Amino acid sequence: MKEKNLSKWTILLAAICMLTLPAQALSGEVYKLGLSLAITGPTSDAGNPYSKGVEDYFSYVNDTKMLGDDKIECMIRDDQYKNDVTKRNFEDFLDQGIVFYLNYSTGSTLALKKDFEEEQIPVLPASFHAGNLVDSNYIFLPIASYSAQMIGLTEYVVKNHKGGTPKVAMFIHPSAFGRGPVEDVKKAVAAGLDVEIIEVVEHGKDLDNTAMLKRLSGKGVQYVLSHTVQSPVATMLKDASSLGLVASSFGEEGKITFLGAHYTGGNDLVALAGDSAENFYWTTSYIVTSEPGEGTDLQLALATKYNRDEKAANSHNYANGMMVAQVATEVIKRAKSKGKEINKETLYEELLGMNGDNAFSPKTTVGDVTFSETDHAGVDTLQLYVVKDNKFMSEGSPFIPEYTSKIE
Amino acid sequence: MSSNRWLATGNYFTSYEEEQRIFSTSLDRSVMCIFLFILFAWPLFLSVGNKYMLVIDNILVAVIAVIGLNLVTGFAGLISIGHAAFVGIGAYTVASFCRVLGDSHIIITHGWPLMIVVAGFMGALFGAIVGLPALRLKHLYLAIATLSFQMIFQWTINFMNFFDQGQTIPVGRVFWVTGKVARKEHYLFWYYVILVVIVILGFGVRNLLRTRYGRCLVAVRDNDRAADAMGMHPGFVKVYAFGLAGFCAGIAGALHAYLYRGVGIDSFTLHHSINYLAMAIVGGLGTLQGAFWGPLAIRVLDLQVERLSEWTGSHLTAATNLTTALRPLSFGLVIVLFLMFEPRGIANWWRIFRSYVKLWPFRY
Repeated sequence: MKEKNLSKWTILLAAICMLTLPAQALSGEVYKLGLSLAITGPTSDAGNPYSKGVEDYFSYVNDTKMLGDDKIECMIRDDQYKNDVTKRNFEDFLDQGIVFYLNYSTGSTLALKKDFEEEQIPVLPASFHAGNLVDSNYIFLPIASYSAQMIGLTEYVVKNHKGGTPKVAMFIHPSAFGRGPVEDVKKAVAAGLDVEIIEVVEHGKDLDNTAMLKRLSGKGVQYVLSHTVQSPVATMLKDASSLGLVASSFGEEGKITFLGAHYTGGNDLVALAGDSAENFYWTTSYIVTSEPGEGTDLQLALATKYNRDEKAANSHNYANGMMVAQVATEVIKRAKSKGKEINKETLYEELLGMNGDNAFSPKTTVGDVTFSETDHAGVDTLQLYVVKDNKFMSEGSPFIPEYTSKIE
Repeated sequence: MSSNRWLATGNYFTSYEEEQRIFSTSLDRSVMCIFLFILFAWPLFLSVGNKYMLVIDNILVAVIAVIGLNLVTGFAGLISIGHAAFVGIGAYTVASFCRVLGDSHIIITHGWPLMIVVAGFMGALFGAIVGLPALRLKHLYLAIATLSFQMIFQWTINFMNFFDQGQTIPVGRVFWVTGKVARKEHYLFWYYVILVVIVILGFGVRNLLRTRYGRCLVAVRDNDRAADAMGMHPGFVKVYAFGLAGFCAGIAGALHAYLYRGVGIDSFTLHHSINYLAMAIVGGLGTLQGAFWGPLAIRVLDLQVERLSEWTGSHLTAATNLTTALRPLSFGLVIVLFLMFEPRGIANWWRIFRSYVKLWPFRY
């Protein structure tokens, strides 16, 4: 009787082994990535959809077995836009053995720059601040820097302005994020870009910009170039609209034409400013959902698949998050296909090799992602959009600012 | 008092000197020794990730800052809502040296103990200057004066190119007798440094409170006119209270700079000043233990609320940004509840617990 029982147990154990062992062998590798960003707190209106874009794209990679049996585990932590918390999150990710890091704000990217160098870990932040790349080997900007965006807008003003030297004012965020491009635009002007910078305004938490707009108008400012987040721009546009200062066509005489870089625009601006956002010119490297294409189809399909609301689905920050996840996935895929072990070093190598024939087209941007030893800005091409009937519509073809290379 | 100090179940002082002892009983002294031994020894036996070491170090830095705040607000009764600015003075003292000499200059990397002391004295200097209005101002008016210092400090840092307009100024890695403190040992190294500073400052403050200078602080807090009549100089006491608070804050700032290997204005805002004040209140104003309990309680609460808001943030839609309010809400609630139900702070719970243990098994 005892022997019979024993054999039963042996068979059961063997069956368990047979069932579990192949499953373990087939389960594949798990590659750990980390993302620390503002899901709550300041700038969370951008950070929240950004995190969802990252999360959904990696879920999509795992669900569709894009990496075969291997999976990506991206740990997403809220840092509430606080550098101290970002540092803690980054240490946590390192403790858990991440091979690639996705960061968010300009402040924390600058604060952790030395850590990135010591850890030799490739980093893709949501900040496109050109200063991120100074004395850094491991930070890569997903798209053209804020400086390039502002120079691109200025070049557009110069090319399309009629009569004399255009007078511009810069409306910027009171931080390194906002101040960064000012010097570069000034350098471009010194290098021959024919505009007159009348004033640089660092906005506070103003709820009314009437006085500022009247002052700028009084000084003959024809164009306001904004580099900040959406809400101050929305306040300014609403006040300008009330004062009847918004140009109904580009460069309309006696009126002001408003333009802005990546984080000033998108659907959130239209939601905040309403009809006052009409004729607002905006530049980014991302394709927006009001201009359907292969990338935006994927964006909307992902948002639907993972039950995101319409606001997140149509956000350019959702596309922004998706895009960095696409780049991270692509370098893992490339390293895998070459039979390399997936670690910080190999992913860094793959990022540096992403150029020429190896450039990556994520379809969510207007150009290819290219990186090299000397080029750490991904998509160099920008697209100008203008608000028409509460939608951002393409204005002209994608372009690369000329003066960016002249001031280097 | 019992002839055997190990069996004492209460404090029966027969002389003024006995009452002024640092440890009332031998048991107290032994428990403190064991506690200190545990604090120094546990990292040798337990392995903790860098994330948690950073959290622990951060709490300890806050303890140093709150020791200072407790001196000025708890013991001397002078409200300061610019304490983060004093911490910032210490941090930016280190940062200034980094800007001028370079972040890897030998003074920064090898002379760090000196830098910490210099930062402390800079804090003390600014503390004494800001304390000057205390000669004329009291209560809310003094609070506003310290608030204005906080604002001036933030504005100066934010707009001066020398301070990189508030962006992080890097601080180099330090050297110890064994060589350069590598990234792997960084947080553990600073844990020990901060712990040593806390022990020195803790005993320093405890001793200060036994001297006439310490008693002057309490006397001026309770009634400055009476203190004046008794021969004390209330004005001088107030200024030196601010100076002492600034010294502790300056040291905390320098340690913060070295711990985070960088100095940015983000860590020294009005929000942080309120946070230090909350730590002092929750811990227990006017008690040395309160300076330890407060930072621990507030930081742990912060971490838990952070997790909760992160969880809710990732589950709610982007349109409902309600989770952003969770942290300030919980933070405010804790302070209000403490002010309502336990104004003497966690230190009072500790006192009750100790009394219970001391008298056990007797009820009275």
